[in-house]
Amino acid sequence: MQANKPQNFYKNVSEALAQPNLKAIIRRTTDKADAKRAEAVSNFPGFENARTQGQKIKDHVIKHMDHYLAEFEKNAKAQGAIVHWASTGEEATKIVMDICKQHEAKKITRSKSMLGEEIGLSHALDHSDMERIETDLAEHIIQLAGDPPSHIVWPAMHRSREDVVKLFRSNHKSPTQSEEIIDLVRSARRDLRTKFLTSDIGISGSNFLLADSGSSCTVTNEGNAELTITPPKVHIVTAGIEKLVPSMAHAVPLLRLLTRSATGAEITQYITFHNGAKREGDADGPEVSHIVLVDNGRTKMLADGMEEMLRCIRCGACMNHCVVYKHIGGHAYGSVYPGPMGSVLTPHIEGLEVANKQTHACTLNGRCEEVCPVNIPLPKLLRALRAKSWSKKYEPITNRFVVSAYAMLASRPKLFQLSSSMGVVMMKLFSRKGWIQSMPFTSGWTSNRDLIAPESKTFMQQYKKQRKSSNTAEKQQ
Amino acid sequence: MNKQQEAISRQKIFDAIKQASPTAPANIDAIQKEALELLSLNEDARPAALHDDPSIALEMRVEKGLVIGTSCERIATLADLPNAVKTFFAKHKLPKVAKVQETEQLQSLDWNGIGINADIIEDDTVGVCLAEYGIAETGSFVVSSSKDMPILLNFLPLYLVVAAPKSKVLAFMDDYALIANDIAKQGTTPRNICIISGASGTTDIEGVLVQGAHGPEFLHLVIVDDL
Ligand code: SF4
Repeated sequence: MQANKPQNFYKNVSEALAQPNLKAIIRRTTDKADAKRAEAVSNFPGFENARTQGQKIKDHVIKHMDHYLAEFEKNAKAQGAIVHWASTGEEATKIVMDICKQHEAKKITRSKSMLGEEIGLSHALDHSDMERIETDLAEHIIQLAGDPPSHIVWPAMHRSREDVVKLFRSNHKSPTQSEEIIDLVRSARRDLRTKFLTSDIGISGSNFLLADSGSSCTVTNEGNAELTITPPKVHIVTAGIEKLVPSMAHAVPLLRLLTRSATGAEITQYITFHNGAKREGDADGPEVSHIVLVDNGRTKMLADGMEEMLRCIRCGACMNHCVVYKHIGGHAYGSVYPGPMGSVLTPHIEGLEVANKQTHACTLNGRCEEVCPVNIPLPKLLRALRAKSWSKKYEPITNRFVVSAYAMLASRPKLFQLSSSMGVVMMKLFSRKGWIQSMPFTSGWTSNRDLIAPESKTFMQQYKKQRKSSNTAEKQQ
Repeated sequence: MNKQQEAISRQKIFDAIKQASPTAPANIDAIQKEALELLSLNEDARPAALHDDPSIALEMRVEKGLVIGTSCERIATLADLPNAVKTFFAKHKLPKVAKVQETEQLQSLDWNGIGINADIIEDDTVGVCLAEYGIAETGSFVVSSSKDMPILLNFLPLYLVVAAPKSKVLAFMDDYALIANDIAKQGTTPRNICIISGASGTTDIEGVLVQGAHGPEFLHLVIVDDL
């Protein structure tokens, strides 16, 4: 599957809406995630306090980002790690690729990292003579399918069991003939086991960076991060600078929030802190450890007053609860980060000029903010991006015309009432049994669903009529 | 990217942070005080304990089925561990081969009738190891890398038996994290610290939970009353 582009958002959305089963496939996962999250939250009376604490921890780090970055660098170096700095995604990828070449690596195992996707590392590895091996089961599936991820927690949620059967049969060395999910998982286990053990370099992301010890932290259910990192000689971590926390004790409250918000689990099975290279005498572990600290738009968020977005712990709850995401899925956004969080992040990574349409793909119903474990005011941030996009004149000319026309009408009540009553009459002409199946200028809506027909009178007409009759009734009394 | 280019990028990042308004000028003592105060919020922001005795709370969590793929038992002393492992073999109908962690405490036990140095790459080998801590809140055990503890021992086998001393079962994750913070202060953090809470699992195919994705399918926690 070819990756969509963020600037083609409207086209991507039309294509997504035209896919007959997509909505059901998305809801199969997101509805389950919503229900499990709700249960986990109701079983944890301290959840609101934990949220406040989590928010405060992230805000504290954001406020003192330079201090914690310097601390982390000092402590990671003291533990034998080599620390690199990349201000852009291209720089980060170049650093990683240079390390791989320097070690003459042939096989690269990777554990799931959205940052790796963000900086284009998969693409760079695929265009080199090295073999890229994704080890998270979902990433393994989408690698075989050639798909981009469609969700930050379940990147292969758009693929059915039947798809997986076909992919494994044509790609695994000794594939299962069974179509049972357990046998498919075993097939992947068998196939990846030798790859783990013969890899030259393991690359991981990091959920948290601990400033006091210089450790990076991986969080998985499968245990693939440790199997990716431990056997090869070299470990490379790529991490965004916003992943910092002061210490492990500060990571714990965020871990409580992360797992409950992501999957509804009280905890994830594997939380591992990686701290530099193998110590003398250690039974196993990489001999060389690199950490690449990546900015790629994060300091721009600070400068643009979007620092609240840097609290994000990538749990995915906002997309699981988003009515727009549930209709169009992740690929339509055309970027690594879909849903509400993606609509705020992508403009800072790829530029508002190319990703402004996503900021409008929001009903502002506030569900994302309600469920965000670190209280990120996503609707407020989206509104601010819309305003910026308007002032920078990034909106399409048709949108600008419609909004200007509306502004002109809305400030002239008589004209507004006249045009809305004409609009009602027009719409009535196209309605059948209370629904409009097609009408000029509404194909964006009606090509995928019917439009509800308006009442026969406008709101103002009905309001005036009602006021008149209640005045008459009062007089009669 | 050469070293000079990376140094320029580093400087760019620090300059951008300095220029952005929310960043306050660094006063290390004030920052540390503020960071410490954030931890005082822990009390009201963590789940209720299932029992006052953390080792009982840990057992209860496992028995309630809240820890994926995990069973639990209590033994009086470490000398009882080989019998616990034999019972585990019988329960899962496994050949009596294990990979026992190469630490004096475990290797010196009476393993009569069990092969204890099997290849851990084989799926049906049972890994046997000793945890440093247990955590009641999450049904976890904690191991860290060392000469005696290959991290892979906890990930390669399909079956894993882990003994944890009762005295080292902590109530909350924070209790362990504060110990780790102290180790970090001394600059002696091991290369890996793993907090493991159940068997390896995945829900990546149609949301169906399958145990034993890459790591163990079954985990048996053994709490040792007197270690
Ligand atoms: S914005 Fe909030 S809800 Fe969305 S992924 Fe980030 S932390 Fe989770």
